Amino acid sequence: MLQFSNVYKRYPEGGDALAAISFRLKPGEMAFLTGPSGAGKSTLLRLIPLIERPSRGQITVGGRNLARLGGGDIPHLRRQLGLIFQDFRLLDDRTVFDNVALPLVIAGFGPTEIGRRVRAALDKVDLLAKERRYPRGLSGGEQQRVGIARAIVHKPPLILADEPTGNLDPALSEEIMLLFRELNRVGVTLLIASHDLGLISRLGSRVLQLDQGRLEPELEP
Amino acid sequence: MTRRRLPRSSRRSSNRLLRWFAALPWVQRLENYFFMHAHLLVASLGRLYRTPVASSLTVLVIAIALTLPAGFHALVDNLGRAGAQLEATNRISVFLKPEIVNEVGSRIARKLAEHPQVQEARLITKEEGLREFQRYSGFGEALRLLDFNPLPAVVAVAPKDSLSRPEDVERLLQDLRGIDEADLVQMDTDWMHKLSAILRIAGRTVGLLDILLALAVLLIVSNTIRLELHDRQEEIAITKLMGATDAFVRRPFLYTGFWYGFGGGLLAWLLMTLLLLLLDTPVTRLAQLYGADIQLQFLSAGKSLGLLLGAAGLGIGGAWGVVDHHLRRMAPS
Repeated sequence: MLQFSNVYKRYPEGGDALAAISFRLKPGEMAFLTGPSGAGKSTLLRLIPLIERPSRGQITVGGRNLARLGGGDIPHLRRQLGLIFQDFRLLDDRTVFDNVALPLVIAGFGPTEIGRRVRAALDKVDLLAKERRYPRGLSGGEQQRVGIARAIVHKPPLILADEPTGNLDPALSEEIMLLFRELNRVGVTLLIASHDLGLISRLGSRVLQLDQGRLEPELEP
Repeated sequence: MTRRRLPRSSRRSSNRLLRWFAALPWVQRLENYFFMHAHLLVASLGRLYRTPVASSLTVLVIAIALTLPAGFHALVDNLGRAGAQLEATNRISVFLKPEIVNEVGSRIARKLAEHPQVQEARLITKEEGLREFQRYSGFGEALRLLDFNPLPAVVAVAPKDSLSRPEDVERLLQDLRGIDEADLVQMDTDWMHKLSAILRIAGRTVGLLDILLALAVLLIVSNTIRLELHDRQEEIAITKLMGATDAFVRRPFLYTGFWYGFGGGLLAWLLMTLLLLLLDTPVTRLAQLYGADIQLQFLSAGKSLGLLLGAAGLGIGGAWGVVDHHLRRMAPS
């Protein structure tokens, strides 16, 4: 589903943000990306939807080599992904429904299909009753669940989450992580950046550990 | 009875056809596409409506920028029309040979009045001519020194349709020059040439003004859209992350630009019409003083449509430029 082969990311102003990164995520797998702040977790995640391009190395998503994708192909790549952010990144002037509908509107779905799919996604994160509310009127946990609904509404094969529980208290974090495990059970591939080691160890999934831009050798679970 | 049964069965099959047609993937895509555009058209107007003061100020500035060239167009149009009208009141003067007496002159005038290209022909006798000359020329004293009247009799001829059929007037002039008793045939077209030269300069000035103010509208719209882009930066970033194409991001701004331009154009048209209405009475009075029957002409349907479409186009163009610039900066490095 996702493969990194000897990937480097170098910024002109600083050294290597990522160096010699190689790993593979099989379809239906769930993995955590951990490491201290500044280890390169966010940078790694930014390379997959081509928010940035790697300096060296090769990344494939669903068998497609990202180096071969031009500017016009990027939107189609991103429609194959579900993105979840630490700060939720919801549109405050739109209702929960409209926020979740966004990927479908972008993909050009019709209004009836949008209504059906958005309600299904909101039902999955247990927010069906709040579809007419605005994000600011919701708690942090609820806002992140809206973000998750938005990430799954177009049924992407791969979901990327960058510190999805970074702004939430432990109880809400656990709730969100359980939601991820549930998604994984129905076949979604997930890569989740998090430094919440306690929570990760309890979930018992695969862990990719970054340190100063390099991937530590993986321990067999 | 048969009339009732037949349509029902055909209606059923046509319904089935319609449903089959509507279920075709490309028909659905097309339907969704049109739905999206209709939605954006309304939504962008709604967005402007939510910031009424800022939006109306922008529209007003655009309208004023557009009223200027539209006003000049109307002015030049009307001047041209007025010139044509005045030309229609133009006279041909047929100076008769000095030895021709008034009786012969009036016979010639009567004969000329029957000419198909002649509206009116009137004799100005030698004596009338002298009186007028003394009154208006300032040479009255000098004339008194002469013991005879040096002025010839003149037939004043008003041609028909001098503007629309200049070649007929030309032919009439030929005919008049062929009269044995005529010494000199003169049509004063000098001022017409001057007017047309002035109109040409005015026309070119208006053309330049059009370009300058179109540029102004373009800049007003781009600047307004640039501010809006700034306000909606996060929204654009998020939609791009969700896989929006540049066209998708651009579209709502193009509609906003369209509304700015179209609204400005519409308001400019209204201002223009109001201006002409206010000027109508005084202009008519002035024209009457010159003996012309001039009606102030409002913007034609074609020019009105041109104004609206041009303004809308400028709005879209201004938005396009600035959004494109913004999107190019967002491309991944």
